[in-house]
Amino acid sequence: MPTDLSDYVSSRAAVLDRVRRMLREAMKLRIEPESIDPDVPLFGTGLGMDSVDAVELVVQLDAVFGLTLAGSPWVSAKLRTVNTVVDAIMELRGEP
Amino acid sequence: MSLEDEYRSIRHGAALSRMDHVGLVRVSGEDATEAVDAICSGDLWVRDGRMIQTLILDEQGQPVADVYVCPDDDACILMFEGITTDELSASLAQYADPELEIELEDLRPAYALISVNGPYAWEALSKWLTPDVIGLPYLSFYHFDRGTCFRAGKTGEYGYDLAIRSDYVEHAWEELLELVGALGGGEASLETLDLCALENGFFCVRHASAAGLTPLELQLQWRVSARKRFPGAASIEERRAKGMDRRLTHFVAREGVKTGDLIRDADGPVGQVTAAAFSPGIGGVAGMALLDLSLAHPGIDAFFVPTANAVRPIRTLSSPLLFNRSLLVDPHRHTYGTRDETNDPPLWLGSLP
Amino acid sequence: MSESPHITGWGVASSLGVGRDRFCAALLRGDSGIGAVRRFDTSPFTSHVGAMVPGYESDDRDPALLSHEFGMLALHDALAHARLELEDLRSMRVALTLGTSLFGHQTTACLAHDLANELGVSGPAITVSTACTSSTQAIGFGADLIREGFTDVVLAGGIDVLTPPLFAGFHALGVLSERPCTPFGRQMGTTLGEGAGFVVIERGGLRDAVTRARLRGYGLAGDAYHETSPEPRGRGVAAAIRGALDDAGASEAEIGYFNAHGTGTVANDTAEWCAVQSVFGSDLGGSLPLSSSKGHLGHAQSAAGVLEVITTLECMGAGLAPTTAGFEQARPGGPPRPIGSKQPKPLVYELALSSNSAFGGSNCALVFGKAERATPSSRERRRVFVSGATALCAGVSSIEELASIYAAESPPSEAELQIDLAAELPRVDLRGIDRASELLTTVVSRALADAGVRLKGKARARTGLIAGVLRASPDSLYRFHTSLERRGLAKPDTTAFAQVLPSAAQGACAKALNIRGPQSTVTIGEGSGLLAAVMSAWMLARRRDSDQMIAAAVDVRSEHSAEGALADAACGLLLCTELAAIEVAGVGLAGPEQLDEAIAEARRSWGSSHPVELIVERSNAFGGMPATSSSFALAHALGALRRGEAKSALVASSGTTASVAMILTSTGVTHAN
Repeated sequence: MPTDLSDYVSSRAAVLDRVRRMLREAMKLRIEPESIDPDVPLFGTGLGMDSVDAVELVVQLDAVFGLTLAGSPWVSAKLRTVNTVVDAIMELRGEP
Repeated sequence: MSLEDEYRSIRHGAALSRMDHVGLVRVSGEDATEAVDAICSGDLWVRDGRMIQTLILDEQGQPVADVYVCPDDDACILMFEGITTDELSASLAQYADPELEIELEDLRPAYALISVNGPYAWEALSKWLTPDVIGLPYLSFYHFDRGTCFRAGKTGEYGYDLAIRSDYVEHAWEELLELVGALGGGEASLETLDLCALENGFFCVRHASAAGLTPLELQLQWRVSARKRFPGAASIEERRAKGMDRRLTHFVAREGVKTGDLIRDADGPVGQVTAAAFSPGIGGVAGMALLDLSLAHPGIDAFFVPTANAVRPIRTLSSPLLFNRSLLVDPHRHTYGTRDETNDPPLWLGSLP
Repeated sequence: MSESPHITGWGVASSLGVGRDRFCAALLRGDSGIGAVRRFDTSPFTSHVGAMVPGYESDDRDPALLSHEFGMLALHDALAHARLELEDLRSMRVALTLGTSLFGHQTTACLAHDLANELGVSGPAITVSTACTSSTQAIGFGADLIREGFTDVVLAGGIDVLTPPLFAGFHALGVLSERPCTPFGRQMGTTLGEGAGFVVIERGGLRDAVTRARLRGYGLAGDAYHETSPEPRGRGVAAAIRGALDDAGASEAEIGYFNAHGTGTVANDTAEWCAVQSVFGSDLGGSLPLSSSKGHLGHAQSAAGVLEVITTLECMGAGLAPTTAGFEQARPGGPPRPIGSKQPKPLVYELALSSNSAFGGSNCALVFGKAERATPSSRERRRVFVSGATALCAGVSSIEELASIYAAESPPSEAELQIDLAAELPRVDLRGIDRASELLTTVVSRALADAGVRLKGKARARTGLIAGVLRASPDSLYRFHTSLERRGLAKPDTTAFAQVLPSAAQGACAKALNIRGPQSTVTIGEGSGLLAAVMSAWMLARRRDSDQMIAAAVDVRSEHSAEGALADAACGLLLCTELAAIEVAGVGLAGPEQLDEAIAEARRSWGSSHPVELIVERSNAFGGMPATSSSFALAHALGALRRGEAKSALVASSGTTASVAMILTSTGVTHAN
């Protein structure tokens, strides 16, 4: 594949892995990170995170990735699935 | 109504749909939960009055039914698509311990199922039932005098599935149609509901596109238990051990892309389109593709579908594809009549390739 | 004893003033005690208001010291109002029931111990630590102590202090309002407060006292729903209110005023309104005068219940109903017309209802007022039996293994206690459960299994749980405080915050097993487990809101604190009203130095002239398990009776702040399992 695609994909895969590990720890999941579907919903269904977990997630995203969402208007739209979290991190880093 | 009108009802107001394709049973008896647990793929970590979405798999680990398990005191209500009630019964007979004491009651035809979906669906329900339906959390249900109200939905908007006594359902239909009409909506077909499900990343068991795929490829591992025994568990373990090689990913395109189309990049084939439909919200095609695992990521513009007339570029994206209006509606403060969308972000935040 | 206890006085140290005079004057003026927080820097937060005790607004001494001071001020004020001298306290049987959930590393019984000592209260001092329902429950249990004949006077109340960690935790959960809270009004969120309050409850006819009101009854129920959010349709609140009405022998129509928990948060106010409509119906519910005192007192946490009861008592006596400070416009989903005048509203009523709800799904309601019951309760006491039991610590996972340790008098294994709760409860979501919750859930589940009971249907709302503990989970406290240090006050670990309460384990266990009956977390220091059993027994005997109560105890080895348990241990006993092999024949409760009296009381209630065949004391082998060792003694006695080694057994324990005794007898019925 073209280099820029190859770079993007490995970058993305690395962030995906880190987000999966972070969620696994935060949610005390006893499964392998690879078993967390990238498009799994975070709240309500899917991973079943609740409002208390949401607070912790925002703190962790800031601490681990430097992603500040607190105070940003549509936090709920940015944190719907694992992939949307990865999107937000990639965006922060200036990746397309 | 046209598809565009139905779509607008679901995405901006409220729409009413018949759910004749959905099965509804009550499993009761001493061992009801245990029996249901034996045939479903997921951990049933769900309490009385709540709902959990799970699957029934075949021996090859492929989903045959999409199920909501709803514990109701000590019985279990199951709301399911993809198999018939007889097939569900057969599954229980085959996979649940024969010593278990259970009774299976088909709730149809005593009850019919209709569904209200949309950012203001709750407004219609609060008038048809009582205002405190607004407080019903997502994936919960409660009984009222003529039926049961399940808050679920597969469109990404507020959604309520109503199991209503058959002798009353036509009357209910008329009342709800009127209420939904006041919210700018009307009846919506299954086709439109499925389009909305596709846009929001809800799995549809009825589409043949799911054939040959396990929860690993389908991104449904969250509905599969890591520790219990269930039909298809062995196949899933085998697939995991071998390693998965493909994954379903969402994409958009301008036009001319349909189910079954092969997808390539500059170097060669990378996957296949498993579902595609024109979306009025996006103004283009919304779809899902089975891609090689290493490339199955959102945000890629390098893929395309070669067709007879032209090369159709596709752009992979995270689902949900839309910024659902329901995210902006607070039933405690808003109403359809007083809505002010001037400062709202658009429904579709992306761009087509 | 069916007569309702008499309320003869009360006292406060509150944000509206220290001492009744100042408190009343402020109340009648319609003042609010909420102001800018000066005790600590609130710049990390988006809210800067709180309701602090005047004179202490900038006082940032150790919260334990402040708690003690607030407590003594309120107690002296209450005694003065009740016209009780300290000498009177020494010559009567006096007990203390205290609601408090100390945020520090001490064991929660410390405060009660110190207060009782300073006042010369020699009777039992029971601490209830269920967060926002602590003092409400303390008042209810205080009534029980009198009705059961254990004491003649109870000083019942609660104390809490507004500290930076408390503020940080609530702030992180997003439930603090930016401006002073407006319960049932348009602004969402609550405002934290602090203070202390006590009511003096006593047996009638003992002395020449002015009866200002009667304490008719209380109700307790659990949501079994979520660690911090209430069940959205107010199911637990409704159950607690119904339980209180039943205990009071009162109908919904007799309630003339309702003092709601009304914190002002989105979740609480709507759930509570659902509950009111559910209990009172839409007609009665719509016309029931109600208000929330948190508009002028803030949310005083463990002192909320008692301060809100006192607010109501003061107003009731003056022919007024308390108002909701700050209320302007009703919020959708809440009551449309709460009392929202600037000052208390003229209203004459005979009976009031007050309710509180807390983290972990705890709900408690009280019924009190000028009206005594029309007819005395003719309800017979029910017999209470023990139908299931289990014991758990390293080397012990059954009653039989417990017996071996008792026989050998050797300490149990040094090895770490391993349990696999997920395997025992495959259909329960145990993610994030902490050690204390894990231990407690294991023994409660096993005790039910030992009795052959599967909780289903209506039984869930009629099964309760009393947990005897010493403290909050040390690991959760450590995690929470560490997160504050490392991440700053604005970003605490909210999951740890929810688990930092002494009642967190009981709440988590109730949620995991769907136990929705009366529940509480109590302590008397050493001996807390046996206290839980004694309380369960009297509740089953006299009340009708449950048929089974699990009396449990748990100790968690604390690596991060010098005090507390040295080893993980837990014990659970299932008490019930259905005939079983072993019966609770008698119970006794007295002061920490009064073990003989507790034992005598147990013998008296047994009423037999036979001597007890077996006496079981706490074993030194379990010295490192202060809450649980007395439960182990009880479980061991049970085992001995089941094995036919004796037909009666006495278990007694002198705890840090109370002495407890229980007599078990064999009924001759065989044990099911």
